[in-house]
Amino acid sequence: MSAPDSGGRNARGYAPDFLTELFRNPLDPGYADAAARRRRSPDRPRWRIAGGRAVSIVVISVVGFLFAVAYRETIAEEPSRDQARAGLIAQIKQRESETDQMTVRADRLREEVGRQRDAALSGSQAARLRNLEAGTGLGRVRGDGVVVRLADAQPKDSDAVSGDSDAGPPRVIYTDLQKVANDLWASGAEAVAINGQRLTATSTIRSAGAAILVDFRPVTSPYEVTAIGPGSMRDKFDESRAAYLMRRVAKDTGLSFQVRDAEDVTLPAAPEPRLRYAEPSVSPSPSPSGSAGRTSSPGPSGPGTSPRPSGGVR
Amino acid sequence: MIAVLALLAGVVLGIYLDPTVPAALQPYLPIAVVAALDAVFGGVRAKLDRIFDDKQFVVSFISNVLVAGLIVYLGDQLGVGGQLSTGVVVVLGVRIFGNVAAIRRHLFRA
Repeated sequence: MSAPDSGGRNARGYAPDFLTELFRNPLDPGYADAAARRRRSPDRPRWRIAGGRAVSIVVISVVGFLFAVAYRETIAEEPSRDQARAGLIAQIKQRESETDQMTVRADRLREEVGRQRDAALSGSQAARLRNLEAGTGLGRVRGDGVVVRLADAQPKDSDAVSGDSDAGPPRVIYTDLQKVANDLWASGAEAVAINGQRLTATSTIRSAGAAILVDFRPVTSPYEVTAIGPGSMRDKFDESRAAYLMRRVAKDTGLSFQVRDAEDVTLPAAPEPRLRYAEPSVSPSPSPSGSAGRTSSPGPSGPGTSPRPSGGVR
Repeated sequence: MIAVLALLAGVVLGIYLDPTVPAALQPYLPIAVVAALDAVFGGVRAKLDRIFDDKQFVVSFISNVLVAGLIVYLGDQLGVGGQLSTGVVVVLGVRIFGNVAAIRRHLFRA
């Protein structure tokens, strides 16, 4: 250490370049000061030396104590973090199973409603309603169709150096599912479901972080897009842009993409859509005058009452 | 030699007593450790420079820990706790590096 003379030390203060000074001379100047003081007056009482030594030793043991406590604290914090995470996961699972149960109950109730309605309505009206429900996705449907299967690529060994798993295997992204679903519709599909989630006119396929949400419910790989449609659907879809693109992507990245025929598949009903802004504007009893009366006619219930059709659709 | 024994005794004591740190003090623990490391390496270097002084060591340890804790506390109150603790760690880290380099020169002449 090329220490400046201790005379200069007394005029202590920040050097113009504080950081450079810090790098060059990291030792507390106090040690040099104390050494200089000792040199000037070498005879200190023995009890002071002994006392100082004792206090130093106590401080050193305090330092060791601090290290041990900090170490234990850090170790102890790790499981609590894991516990919090596990707790959250358990909560998510529980809520999901609650939602599933309630969905099952809703389905049962909807079937019950359908039965009651069938009993109340005349046969042709009930059949028409069932057809409408099946077409809009509110009723269960069955038939022949195709199943498009997309899956994330197999994970490689995670990077041992950085432990990085974010830039992991190639994954199916939400636009892939969107394109496949759209091209299935375009190929003539009459009903489409992704991993058992029936798509309706208001369905959404979007991404939230790494997850893909279909109608705000997470779906995970492998994704199976099932569609019911005419026999020509398979060929039409095979020639569609989505199929072409996904084949290329699959070849380049190792995703898996398969299309296969499926016979007699059953697609579940979508949950009832909650229309918050749009209101039905058809009159409850379709007027024979057609489009002229469609938008303006308030229906037989008369003006001033609720715009909700009080007749056929309940 | 005595110092090393005292350090070990402190570690053993910490493991044996297993004290619980109050939640309010937990954020300051890592900073306190860094400050203590700075004091310890400063002391070792001074010892090798033959200018070690007990009073200086004790005062530097206590003031290091207190000032580091105070800065972090102040940063927490101002909403910049993370940045200020980074600053403290950088400054103390530079000092630790410098002192360790000096110790290395003493021990290995390199």
